[in-house]
Amino acid sequence: MANRNMWSRVLILALCVASAGFGCSGKTREIGSLQGADRMEPSDVPLGERFELTGRRVENIHLPHVLFRYDSFQVDSGEIRKIEEVAAYMRNNPDVRIITEGHCDERGSRAYNISLGENRAQAVRANLVKMGINSMRIQTRSYGEERPISSGHNEAAWRRNRRVEFAVYR
Amino acid sequence: MSKRERRFVCAIAATLLYMAPSRAADVHVVKSGADEIPMDISGIAISGEKFATVFLETLRNDLVRSGWFRIVAGSGSAIVAVGRCNEISDRLSVKCRLTNTGSGKTYFNVSYNEPAHEARFVAHKLADKIVESVKSVRGIAATRIAMVGMRDGQRDLYVCSADGHGIIRITKDGVPCLSPKWGFGGDVLLYTSFANGFPDMYEIDMRTNMRRSISARPGINMGGDMSFDGRMVALILSKDGNPELYVMQRTNGRLTRLTRTQHAAEAEPSWSPDGKSIVFVSDSAGSPQLYIVKSNGGRPERPTFRGSENVSPDWGLDGRIAYSSRRGGRYHICVLDPLSGEQTQITRDDADYESPSWAPDSRHIVCSRTCSYHSELYILDTMRHTSVKLFSLEGECHSPSWSP
Repeated sequence: MANRNMWSRVLILALCVASAGFGCSGKTREIGSLQGADRMEPSDVPLGERFELTGRRVENIHLPHVLFRYDSFQVDSGEIRKIEEVAAYMRNNPDVRIITEGHCDERGSRAYNISLGENRAQAVRANLVKMGINSMRIQTRSYGEERPISSGHNEAAWRRNRRVEFAVYR
Repeated sequence: MSKRERRFVCAIAATLLYMAPSRAADVHVVKSGADEIPMDISGIAISGEKFATVFLETLRNDLVRSGWFRIVAGSGSAIVAVGRCNEISDRLSVKCRLTNTGSGKTYFNVSYNEPAHEARFVAHKLADKIVESVKSVRGIAATRIAMVGMRDGQRDLYVCSADGHGIIRITKDGVPCLSPKWGFGGDVLLYTSFANGFPDMYEIDMRTNMRRSISARPGINMGGDMSFDGRMVALILSKDGNPELYVMQRTNGRLTRLTRTQHAAEAEPSWSPDGKSIVFVSDSAGSPQLYIVKSNGGRPERPTFRGSENVSPDWGLDGRIAYSSRRGGRYHICVLDPLSGEQTQITRDDADYESPSWAPDSRHIVCSRTCSYHSELYILDTMRHTSVKLFSLEGECHSPSWSP
């Protein structure tokens, strides 16, 4: 019994050492991030310095809006397809840079909604990075509830407003 | 029913609710000392056409709005003000003596001589002196309220005096601006603006009207709140990942990070009066709730578990925290004593009350009241649980901050 205890301790220790070792390697973190759909955290890809928006905003490009549940910044599996579409666009247009713009519905405190919108923008950015897009090409911007696209006061309007838009710069 | 009519009905409904006899159930929360003292100011004689009358009207309103006095004439008064207000060639000369009719004590003899167009300002000064002499608490008549106003679809910062008069527009950017907060004795105003395309934090020097950017880091720069000594700014930044709470030294911009919540957003910090703690909002427990953390770091503690959401805390000078709590599907203003854990719900009618900000008398709170998706600013009396509308801007009005 004592022996088995000792072996399990050795096993745990070995696992700890191994995972600590992996922690130092960027490559292993990538493997970790693939284990679950949303394992890539915004803190894994901190924002770089703001790129100068000297470029021109590309107006006539229609990228989809990623939608969110109330008070949530988790990217639902049904929305991943939209982010993949944007990733493909960025791969095909290596000169464009993107700002993911986070928005909220009108409910809740305005200041909190800026934080929530930022989390949405960063969650989408993290997913783009996970899909292989260089993080330096993506910035975030949160408007909170300040720029709704639907002015109604019902769930249909709120659902459209809880979104991340893609602003494209060339 | 037109929008204006609906608004009016809302206001009347709120007034009736506060006057209704059923409010007697709340009598236990009216603090002792909340009784109005009968005061007679009919002994102040005025001469002059315009500004002397403005002075006396303003003084009367200020004393009533302070919550401490009831204006009476003749017998039954406990406090008597006598004196005169003369308007002579663009100057206003005011003399006033304040006495207690019971004890015969004279509180003060005071005289002012100011430009006549400063009549309101002179009245505010005298009203505050009366409150401070009789009740030994700070008067609020000479304080100001900053807010975000929306006119013609444009959002900008506005400032008015505590009685709603003299509203002026401070910014003209035509972009979203958020969370104005007074700092450093009312000399500066912190806020976040998209003036440069991103949510950056600015500080406006209210004496010179000069604006400077104090934080323009990648991501959001939000919720700036200055410590009472003016040395530190608590703020929310997302440069290192998701939004987290930081403290920044105001002189050199050096940062200390206070929270590490990978799966949550922080927002809306507010300093304790002694500068040792900060109350803020975090959704780390699944919904936005209040937390208190030491300003030099440590484990945040949750001070209340009531309310499905608790947001927009403002830590007042007397140590109590005002906040907006979601209860029964509505946001209501509540007051929490973090030492005893005692909490009081101030508003109860069928409207949403948000963004509370304490007056420096630790008695009144300014907040936004939203009814039928239209927001106006209201002043709440936390002792009597009554409310008055500050004023109506044409358009929306929200995020008020009461100056020190």
